[in-house]
Amino acid sequence: MLDATLIALADPTRRAILSRLAEGEARVTDVARPFPISLNSVSKHIRMLERAKLVRRRVEGREHFLALDPAPLDEAADWIAAQKTLWAWRLGELEKALTDE
Amino acid sequence: MSELKVSHRYPFPPEKVFDAWLDPKVARRFLFATPTGEMIRADVDPRVGGRFIFVDRRPDTGDVEHVGEYVEIDRPRRLVFTFAVPQYDPGNTTVTLTFAPDGDGCVVVLSHAGVLEEWVKQTVQGWTMILASLETALS
Repeated sequence: MLDATLIALADPTRRAILSRLAEGEARVTDVARPFPISLNSVSKHIRMLERAKLVRRRVEGREHFLALDPAPLDEAADWIAAQKTLWAWRLGELEKALTDE
Repeated sequence: MSELKVSHRYPFPPEKVFDAWLDPKVARRFLFATPTGEMIRADVDPRVGGRFIFVDRRPDTGDVEHVGEYVEIDRPRRLVFTFAVPQYDPGNTTVTLTFAPDGDGCVVVLSHAGVLEEWVKQTVQGWTMILASLETALS
């Protein structure tokens, strides 16, 4: 899940889509409009974001609406924070080891 | 959110702190260690291209093997090695350490990239932007 999140975030178009959705729910066509690429290409990016569960799709009649789901972002942020804490702890342990010598 | 980077000042000269990373007797006490784990194996071949293996026995997940290779050994300034935890992810990550003299001690800066490389390095800005707009959206 974390991998899917990180891969989803590794692309500027997908990050731009997320930023747009951070402002609120939007129609697929409106999300796609600012990008100088085909609707089909944007749709592929959106599908990746849906697979990563960063974006939810709601269908109303003929309209497809997209919304941001920030939960996986929290997970990624937690993971980074945990890694950081662990390395900081290890650097402190090194000092202890050297002091004991 | 920024790059995964941590630093620590040591009241010891850079040479002493540098050597600790390549000396299994000292390295086993901190490198790849976890607060609740017990290092049951620490083998290092401290030369460029040489490999290491550290096995941390953890109460929750059992034995966790860290394997990697030394990429750059520039005593006492810079040390770069790759590592992976194959049971979790076969992909290599890269740890870069710099040792800068600081009075009678030294400052070590550790940056960890690799799994992160794809996105943290190139996308710190994007990530920051996302989290900022997310905050706006949620507030």
